[in-house]
Amino acid sequence: MPEVARAEYLEELANLEASALGGLDLVNAALGRTLEAVEHQDVELAQLVVADDDRIDGRYLEVHQALITLLATQSPVATDLRLISSLLHVLKNIERMGDQCVNICKVIPISGNEPPADQEMVRLILTMGRQTKTLITQAKRAFEERSVEMAQDLVRQDDVVDDLNRNCFRLALEIGDDIDKREWAMTMLLAARALERTADNAVDIGEQVAFVVTGLFREFEDASHPEG
Amino acid sequence: MLGAATKRSQPETEGKKGEMTESRPNTATSTEPAAVSGRGAKTIETRGVNLFYGDFHAVEEVTMTIEPNKVTALIGSSGCGKTTFLRSLNRMHELTPGARVEGTVTLDGEDVYDDRVDPVAVRRLIGMVFQQPNPFPTMSIYDNVAAGLNLNSTKVSKAQKDSVVERSLRGAHLWDEVKDRLDKPGGGLSGGQQQRLCIARAIAVEPEVLLMDEPCSALDPVATLAVEDLIGELKNRYTIAIVTHNMQQASRASDVTAFFNLDETGKPGHLVEMGPTQEIFTNPKKKETEDYVSGRFG
Repeated sequence: MPEVARAEYLEELANLEASALGGLDLVNAALGRTLEAVEHQDVELAQLVVADDDRIDGRYLEVHQALITLLATQSPVATDLRLISSLLHVLKNIERMGDQCVNICKVIPISGNEPPADQEMVRLILTMGRQTKTLITQAKRAFEERSVEMAQDLVRQDDVVDDLNRNCFRLALEIGDDIDKREWAMTMLLAARALERTADNAVDIGEQVAFVVTGLFREFEDASHPEG
Repeated sequence: MLGAATKRSQPETEGKKGEMTESRPNTATSTEPAAVSGRGAKTIETRGVNLFYGDFHAVEEVTMTIEPNKVTALIGSSGCGKTTFLRSLNRMHELTPGARVEGTVTLDGEDVYDDRVDPVAVRRLIGMVFQQPNPFPTMSIYDNVAAGLNLNSTKVSKAQKDSVVERSLRGAHLWDEVKDRLDKPGGGLSGGQQQRLCIARAIAVEPEVLLMDEPCSALDPVATLAVEDLIGELKNRYTIAIVTHNMQQASRASDVTAFFNLDETGKPGHLVEMGPTQEIFTNPKKKETEDYVSGRFG
């Protein structure tokens, strides 16, 4: 009997994990371009991000299908089952994060090539975006290393994004009476909201890390019972 | 009272230690025949059970509780002693020459191995279904089911026997398929039907516990699912322990799973982990269990 039984299946599962988590690199790349498009109000780059989301969707569909096949043919149990269940969740989060980049990029043309941008608000959005990229990178590493501690730290990182989001909102309220500037600020709030959700998706991935490791699922933060 | 050894010089008092008492009325005198239902499932407890074949130590120090109205699956690689352990629960292990048992096995607190207990009576209270369906091939379907009653030397009227046969076959989900050919040989049934016939035969004598040793390993998937459905229903009336090599069957059909293993060939098998099936298959506590249920043994 070989030292490790089911070697091919285990290799396949490891490859699928790498492929699924590789989706987070795709998201980070899309998010990087999205931030660049926001910073320079680059409509063409924004359109490229929208078109390129097919790659993230393709990764989702490809790995999702392969995981379903593994479930059907290999009867995974215990840690393998938890890993597959988690990867299905993570894939969905990746797909959603890609969509949030698309959402941001779709509002860039609305504000036009030369919008009445408020530099402070742009700075806040870019800081949020960079912080969100950090979360995504950390979520990936936490998953790869099965580090619950690193996963839980995502909550702290996410709080920074939430604070920045609130600051964006306050800035928008105080943006003044100019109708064009207010319209621009509204679109930027949509962008801030998309980034805030993307960071939440990274925290969701962290919760999946804890599930893979411990077998117990619990939300790190319960938005419906914040005091609980 | 059935469990007391039949040839004993001292009269026994019902309920005295060492007797296997039962609630079923004595079919020799009762107007009621042995029924499929009417007896409560009981708890089997083992304490420090060690099993031997001559000098060979097959199973080491198994302490576990097999709860009533639940299906307990015994899993583990070949040679880990799970079937030997199963056979020790109704004293079939001792039928093998040189076989020996140490430790205690109790059925609702009564010692199955007490000197004064009749092993035949134990085997009636704790019935067994084997890997290969083993109906008496030339005997009719009817007589196959009634065989247990006949072998137990109970005087049962034809009407009572008819009633038992029907209830047992219904209990085994076989009645509708065979009711018009009860006089045909049991050997003429399909494999799955034969296994359900054996289950009908086992429950005809009103056991309290059903032991099943890989009952589906010789069956096709459809027959396997039919037997698994039946097991799920039988647990409402009996305590069930099932040995299976089929991980999916253990996960589908059981409530509790016990994993046996042995450190190396020639060493005795032992109980590694026992717990709710859902936990064993999603988040086992021991790596050994995880490796086995995940198919990573090597």
